[in-house]
Amino acid sequence: MTFEKVLTKYQDIPEYTGTIDEYIAHGGYRALPKALRELQPAEVIEQVKRSGLRGRGGAGFPCGVKWGFIPKDSPKPKYLVCNCDESEPGTFKDRMLIEEDPHQLIEGMIISSYAIGSRLAFLYCRGEFVYGARVLERAIREATLRGYLGKNILGSGFDLDIHLHRGAGAYICGEETGLLESLEGKRGQPRPKPPFPAISGLYRSPTVVNNVETLCNVPHIVLRGADWYIGIGPPKSTGPRLFSVSGHVERPGNYELPMSITLRELIFEHAGGVKNGRRLKAVIPGGSSAPVLTEQHLDVGMDFESLAAAGSMSGSGGVIVMDDTVCMVRVGEIVSRFYHHESCGQCTQCREGTAWLHKVLRRIEHGQGRKEDLDVLLDMCDNMKGKTICVLSDAAAMPIESYLKYFREEFEAHVRERACPFEGKGAF
Amino acid sequence: MPTLKIDGVEVTVPTPMSILEVARTLGIEVPHYCYHPGLSVVGQCRLCQVEVERMPKLATACNTMVADGMVVWTHSPKVEKARRAVMEFYLLNHPLDCPVCDKGGECPLQDFTLKYGPGESRFAEEKVQRVKHAVLGPHIVFDAERCILCTRCVRFCHEVPQTGELAVFSRGDRSEITLFPGKVLDNAYSGNVIDLCPVGALTSRQYRFQSRPWDLVRHTDSVCPLCSNGCNVILDVRHRQRGEELLRIRPRENQAVNRWWMCDEGRFTFGYFSDSARLRVPTWREGHPTDAAMAHSPLGPRPVAMGFDDLLLRLARGIRRIVEADGPEAVGCVASSRLANEELFLIRRFFRDILGTPHLDFRVRPVQFQASDASEDGLLRRTDKTANRRGARDLGILPGAGGLDVAGMLAAAANGRLKALFLFEEDLVREYPDRPVREALGRLEILVVSNLLPNETSGLAHVVLPALGFAEKEGSFTNFQGRIQKIHRALTPHVASRSLPEVLRDLARDIGRDLGPIEPARVWEAIGEAPGPYQGIAWKDIGPLGLLPEESREPRAKNKEP
Repeated sequence: MTFEKVLTKYQDIPEYTGTIDEYIAHGGYRALPKALRELQPAEVIEQVKRSGLRGRGGAGFPCGVKWGFIPKDSPKPKYLVCNCDESEPGTFKDRMLIEEDPHQLIEGMIISSYAIGSRLAFLYCRGEFVYGARVLERAIREATLRGYLGKNILGSGFDLDIHLHRGAGAYICGEETGLLESLEGKRGQPRPKPPFPAISGLYRSPTVVNNVETLCNVPHIVLRGADWYIGIGPPKSTGPRLFSVSGHVERPGNYELPMSITLRELIFEHAGGVKNGRRLKAVIPGGSSAPVLTEQHLDVGMDFESLAAAGSMSGSGGVIVMDDTVCMVRVGEIVSRFYHHESCGQCTQCREGTAWLHKVLRRIEHGQGRKEDLDVLLDMCDNMKGKTICVLSDAAAMPIESYLKYFREEFEAHVRERACPFEGKGAF
Repeated sequence: MPTLKIDGVEVTVPTPMSILEVARTLGIEVPHYCYHPGLSVVGQCRLCQVEVERMPKLATACNTMVADGMVVWTHSPKVEKARRAVMEFYLLNHPLDCPVCDKGGECPLQDFTLKYGPGESRFAEEKVQRVKHAVLGPHIVFDAERCILCTRCVRFCHEVPQTGELAVFSRGDRSEITLFPGKVLDNAYSGNVIDLCPVGALTSRQYRFQSRPWDLVRHTDSVCPLCSNGCNVILDVRHRQRGEELLRIRPRENQAVNRWWMCDEGRFTFGYFSDSARLRVPTWREGHPTDAAMAHSPLGPRPVAMGFDDLLLRLARGIRRIVEADGPEAVGCVASSRLANEELFLIRRFFRDILGTPHLDFRVRPVQFQASDASEDGLLRRTDKTANRRGARDLGILPGAGGLDVAGMLAAAANGRLKALFLFEEDLVREYPDRPVREALGRLEILVVSNLLPNETSGLAHVVLPALGFAEKEGSFTNFQGRIQKIHRALTPHVASRSLPEVLRDLARDIGRDLGPIEPARVWEAIGEAPGPYQGIAWKDIGPLGLLPEESREPRAKNKEP
């Protein structure tokens, strides 16, 4: 059965370049007039709630519920912020969505702003997305010229402007409150929660922060209805999902699929299987923060619940496949180097823990490991998890814990042989 | 009003409070670094985590508000493990060289490590190297590698003086607190970051390596004398070979006066106590042309050191002669509002009641003629740079009927009507640069100047009396609010010195009168009995945080009602 693409249907349109004319010609900006003319904001929220749309940024929080937290009676302005700071290693879906079909996102942002009562929306774009930002800028200009943005959109009386803001290259600014701090011109450091952004977000005003892919779903839900949406995927993980598959597969890339598919189907049917027919060793199913899975987990469903039950998480949808040439200690060293580099440094456990993890793993990988290091690593991970303002600390600890869980023997071999057994035999 | 349980103790709190604040009121220690009651709450150090039943994770006590029915455990095994872990993380990159650290012995990092931390380090890696003793400003030096990034100093500069010189730069374990480019940590309150710093990262350039905390033999409660705000302070004293030395002044919390802070001027200005130029013995200068007896002295017109007894006897004789010849109106007195209430009261008693002169005043600077002085910066510093203007006013250090103010006294001295003038801790030559003060004072038969250090005015005096500083005496100041606050003796005065009350007592005796008791508590008894703003206030009523007369009277008046 071939799945009817929703978010990436442009892929099947020859020579589609994502201009506003092409977008409109292929059915774009149909949901917007419907939302503005036929639906009250509360009805839009209700529909999104009913659709079961869950956040695609990593946490999987129900989108409509998040919108519902915005206080109706607040005298403060409300803001919609689109999180386009896609930085999770192994994830590259938002980048594609903004570069290939920017108006889908903009239409989603307009409808979502209408739903929550925002008159000013921000698009926080990862600094490295130079091309994507240029595409978005052009798209915002186009939409404004056509009257989809600005004052009195489509004669509905609803006004909205979208500001594009480019980040300066920090992973932590993808964390929603870190993003808001950065957007306010401050150091990108996550805020303690509560209060959550819905109550006190950008400029201490009610704010909704949604991922690019999440917002891209909104026009389709409005246009085709919640019932259609519920029909895609398992009951608690509705709608299409973009999986970024990378690593040792024959056909790496973004795959839009219902979350009812299994890991095996994703890798072997869609991504063409493990490269060069080698044996699959490990899969990170939801971006580098997600605990690793192995061959035994191949039949796990790619929905939020099944992945959590398997001890990992759906995360940002970045699926990293590794074959049997990969050294898991080296993977740990690389992953921990990333978190060491990206920790904002405000919480003690994360600031010190990410660095310590990295240093110990580097030492083990380079043949300087000690027997006791493995238990120190595990205890360190335990001390880092669930104790900090944001989950970067958890994101650093969880993968390492899982590598030690499934591949402890490999770590021990490094210590025993005082060298990396994979040295010269393959690479990550 | 939520009722909750902390470590089994049930407590009801009237206002919204954090778990940490409630624990503090119960005397339960929840260790923390980034939290400070005077600064915004950031929840970054993660040390104050406690277990709250039915919460999935540990909660940071500093930013978790209490709720009804909450059950909190501050020392459960889960909490203890998390705490041990945080302390271990702190020490990974912190130098373990406490013996050479200026904070050693009064360091919360040391204390909490001892109490809650692991005994040994599992860290086998190299520590991060950072900059040592970077000078941040005129008073502060920074050792970055000791810093645990609690950001109290950063928040202080942003939130209290609002000068924002400091910020965290870089991220992760490369994070470092430093100055914004082009800035210097030189705000008027910069010294507070020394107290706020929970480690030896920010230290005082003045105090650094002067003492170990356990060598400080005395921590005396006092009040800063450098303006009318009267910030509450602690005076740290140690013994040195040459005697006791005041080494450090720190603010003492008083929410009604200075909260937790004090300004740099008050904190760092005390070098005069051990200044070698300090006046130690009284001197007598003979040879004034108008004094026939003195003119023939073989010693010539030079000040000579003289014992207090002889000097006061001769001074009494001189004063008596003037009063007998020209009446008490030929004597005047300017008493600084730097003096304590008890000293001022005795001055008034001596000059107004015993000598009978109406010429008494404390007002030297323009600000002292106004009804009240002003705040200099909206924080603590005030424009009247004397500690006790309010007290001087309340105790009537003002001209009596027909009396002259300071300018009047100078004019009377210039035209010869005033023959003797006492100047207690006021340098009139310097205060009135545009007036012929020198000439006026030069015409006096007797000029008595009392001061800590020699100055231009004391250079003109016939009698110079060495004075004691605020750290060397007991008494009280009344700050601009009217709050009476006690100062206590931290330093034993020089053996040859004599306090101002002793001088006045002896002078009174030598002219055949009795000044009455001079111990501060006994003097206050008289102040409390006299009509005026302090009537009915007992010495013992003035507690460590001072006393506002109106506050003390209200409940008493209520109690009297049947």
